[in-house]
Amino acid sequence: MRSFMNENALKVAHEGIGRKLRSFITSNFLPQSGLESFLDTDSFMEKGIIDSTGVLELLEFIEGEFAIKVEDEEVIPNNLDSLQKLTLFIQGKLEHAAQ
Amino acid sequence: MNFHKDILKIDCRQEADRICDFIRQQAVALRHEGAVIGLSGGIDSALCATLCVRALGKERVFGLILPEKDSSPVSQEYAAKQAAELGIRTETVDITPTLEAFGTYQKRDEMIREIFPEYDPHYRAKITLPPDLLSRDAFNFFTLTVDDGHGNIKTARLRKDKLNGIVAATNTKLRTRMVHLYYDAEKMDRFVCGTTNRSELMQGFYVKYGDGGVDIEPIAHLYKMQVYQLSEHLGVIKEIRERTPSPDTFSFEVSDEDFYFRMPYEKLDPLLYAWENGISAQEVCAGMDLNEDQARRAFRDFHSKYRATQHLREMPPSLVMAKR
Repeated sequence: MRSFMNENALKVAHEGIGRKLRSFITSNFLPQSGLESFLDTDSFMEKGIIDSTGVLELLEFIEGEFAIKVEDEEVIPNNLDSLQKLTLFIQGKLEHAAQ
Repeated sequence: MNFHKDILKIDCRQEADRICDFIRQQAVALRHEGAVIGLSGGIDSALCATLCVRALGKERVFGLILPEKDSSPVSQEYAAKQAAELGIRTETVDITPTLEAFGTYQKRDEMIREIFPEYDPHYRAKITLPPDLLSRDAFNFFTLTVDDGHGNIKTARLRKDKLNGIVAATNTKLRTRMVHLYYDAEKMDRFVCGTTNRSELMQGFYVKYGDGGVDIEPIAHLYKMQVYQLSEHLGVIKEIRERTPSPDTFSFEVSDEDFYFRMPYEKLDPLLYAWENGISAQEVCAGMDLNEDQARRAFRDFHSKYRATQHLREMPPSLVMAKR
């Protein structure tokens, strides 16, 4: 039962993070990219959604919104280059901070 | 296309003739007898001055040397030596007072002090992108590095507003040089010769209405490695040919590679050529000492910078319609 509740809480947290990120990216980066929407797995760089100054804005947002510190070494495509990767990265940081 | 490591080798004699024809044609089209060129002490301007002299004659080429207080001391020395070698007339104008009057240093330093409050004019500062893209993947974010002059170095990732503030202040150096170049060009009824090469043009490594504010661009089709080939062929002085390319706008010396390109020109240029010509990462790797992941990473970076700087290469958008 506890395991189910934890999994459920994680899922809710995951969806919440994803929603906030999607909303921020949609309003701040999508108009300049010429796209109307994007998939959770779309590469921000390959789709032209986020450029170098966009990365800085994104970092400011996630550090402020989720109260986490993103180290320079973590500013890599593996962590940040899609909504799916970004959500998992933030969730991992939050879980690590909670331990 | 057959991609190989020597793909950027050029026939220097033929290329020099082609560019000189272009310069002469442009002089006629622009109805100007000669050229004004900013001599930075770097290889691009040295080559352009050399080509202009070959095309128009030394009497019709005027060199402006425009140092400021953050310029490397050897920049002025090498620029003057190259001009003397070519036998062209020059004038040296220290633009530091103009920049001080505008507030360039003050505006930049205020930005830096918001990050490092202890920063004072005795410090040195530079901004850089993450190093060595081919070895380690990372997004393009700028880091500010300051040195207090005693070897105490501090770094901080820049927020967008701070980056914009530092870049905007720094770019006034290039724009001030443009004003000087056009003043002399108009006074002497000459055109302003640009010095941007293809590696810079395609990646947006120049300043709009700064070093991008010129009348002709005679080497904009040449990759930096080709600029080196032609410079050696035409006898650009050794000191300039052996110098590490640098924007020369920060008090803490920084190379083009560290500041913007994230890889040496020897790797950048063939990769950029491949990207521009639709050559696959697989084919590139066969011709260079790289793996496919590295080539794809470079392509992604080129694509990102090309797109982010597209506006530099275009006329300002407007509603003017072509009538014919």
